[in-house]
Amino acid sequence: MKTYERITAIITSLGGVWIMVYAWHTLKLGSIHVPDAGFLPFLCGAALAILGIVWILILQWKKEQGNEGSAERRLWHRPLLSLTLMVLYGWAMEIVGYITSTLIFMVAWQQIIEREGWVKTMVISLIGTLAMYALFVYLLKVPIPSEFFVG
Amino acid sequence: MDIFTGLINGFSIALTGTNILFCFIGAVIGTAVGVLPGLGPAATIALLLPITYVIGSPVTAVIMMAGIYYGAMYGGSTTSILLNLPGEAASVVTCIDGYQMAKKGRAGAALGIAAIGSFIAGTVAVVGLTFFAPPLAEFALDFGPPEYFALTTLGLLLAVTLSGGSIVKGLIILVVGLLLAMVGLDPISGKIRFTFGSIVLQGGFDFVTLAMGVFGLGEILYNLESTLKTEIVTTKIGKVFPTLKDWADSKWAIFRGSVIGFFIGIIPGGGAVISSLASYAVEKKYSKHPEEFGQGIIQGVAGPESANNAASSSSFIPLLTLGIPGNAAIAMIFAALMIQGITPGPFLVAEHPDVFWGVVASMYIGNAMLLVLNLPMVGIWVQMLRVPYGILAPVIVLFTTVGVYSVQNQVFDIYSMLFFAVLGYGMRKLKFDPAPLPLAFVLGPMVERSLRQSLLISGGDLTIFVSRPISGTLVAIFVILVVGQTVFFIKRKTGGNKASAA
Repeated sequence: MKTYERITAIITSLGGVWIMVYAWHTLKLGSIHVPDAGFLPFLCGAALAILGIVWILILQWKKEQGNEGSAERRLWHRPLLSLTLMVLYGWAMEIVGYITSTLIFMVAWQQIIEREGWVKTMVISLIGTLAMYALFVYLLKVPIPSEFFVG
Repeated sequence: MDIFTGLINGFSIALTGTNILFCFIGAVIGTAVGVLPGLGPAATIALLLPITYVIGSPVTAVIMMAGIYYGAMYGGSTTSILLNLPGEAASVVTCIDGYQMAKKGRAGAALGIAAIGSFIAGTVAVVGLTFFAPPLAEFALDFGPPEYFALTTLGLLLAVTLSGGSIVKGLIILVVGLLLAMVGLDPISGKIRFTFGSIVLQGGFDFVTLAMGVFGLGEILYNLESTLKTEIVTTKIGKVFPTLKDWADSKWAIFRGSVIGFFIGIIPGGGAVISSLASYAVEKKYSKHPEEFGQGIIQGVAGPESANNAASSSSFIPLLTLGIPGNAAIAMIFAALMIQGITPGPFLVAEHPDVFWGVVASMYIGNAMLLVLNLPMVGIWVQMLRVPYGILAPVIVLFTTVGVYSVQNQVFDIYSMLFFAVLGYGMRKLKFDPAPLPLAFVLGPMVERSLRQSLLISGGDLTIFVSRPISGTLVAIFVILVVGQTVFFIKRKTGGNKASAA
């Protein structure tokens, strides 16, 4: 955890410096009498740069205490897979239409993330897709992407 | 309009069929998310923000959102008592004695006193809101840019310091929130900032995508890592109406919890979590039997549950009178009002009395509804815990994706929501509290505008912030807070080092 925190702290500091340069160079700071568009971004960038350094110092202080252990086993690949599915779902929605993309998404989720059997997968996917369609189209009257296969 | 006329008008608005229905829907959804661990009121309100576009009426939209918020406080106690698993962050402390009571076969009494305490405290806080908010709004009419700058920065700082997590991490999130709010057109000069050539970013990030990403999907991604399964409830609930002895033991705890919760709820960043912790500490300190705390004493449930409900109602005061949201869930309600074209602040009572009084009156009705929903129907809510996360998670993903797409009918919003989901997930992984992010995002434009206007008015003279009585007082509180926190931090560090050296 500490390594990740240290890397994030360094990125925070460097990000802060970059924002300061961008605010000063591109946006322009103006003056204290007439502050310009870069005035507050510059202050925020400076704050981030300082806070990143403070965070690194705190991590150095805490060095001796060691890492906190967690009893629970955590599966990092599930969020990664689900995020990939979400990106593909967003991309496919306007191409193949709402119903098709939603059905494929639900099936993929149950198979890849939850590793359910095919019968359960199909039941959950069909009910989920129809329920969402009914909610958004009939109840809330929300415009959704039309079906590619229907035209 | 005086308070009583306003309240009568409010009841005439809140008691229409549509508003009663949406108040009920809000109370039901709130109780449900309170019961379900892993989905808090802020996330739920974020998920429902796109629906406010469809609802049309601002009063109805906010009545529903408010119902979700205080409804979650009622529902949160159920899993704390029955499963030792807080359904909502503000119910963490209820686990201590509530679960012990359940283990002794007194789950019904614990659930009953939690619901009754919540009802009494919620009502007390709404009465406070009724009488306290209008004069505060009138007072806030005198505020100029320096006062607003001092107030918003103090509110943001309090939100970070009172959140209980790392102050440095809280401040980083706060600055990130301010920077995200700056994407797009500069409100004063009209210059384009941080868009890097993207035309869609010129309008800035949408609050709905940020809220749904960080709170909705970010939470889902984090929960997907977990390998823990929800236990099936086997605890016998028993009689939910407390006995006369239970009532006699709890009445002062409920009263104290109501008062503590009301005042802590008004402070930006205070909110329900701190009020329940403070109430538990007070009950234990002043109890004749402090040794019984942690063993299943009813005051340990009655006090904190009353406090978190009172705080959830009183946290509407800074929102409706000053336009300052004090916590993440209230920031979502702030956004819901903005979506409807209403700016929360001192002018709200005068310019939109229907919204102000309608929402206040609906809280009286909502509290009564929640008492009925939570006392005899507690068994039904417990059954909700049987819904597997494998079904709940993809349904929430579908809901957020279509919800966010429906706002502007553009896929870009889905991608920006996913960007915020990754940000929210990363924040949880690195133990950042995400609450300051939406607060900074919604208050960002106000902070920048008031700072630059103050400097323009004073010709760059920074003493404008200390020379005016209200802003001067707020700046003094700000300085005391910063100095106090720094001294406390250094003392703790040097004390810790001395101890480890010894």
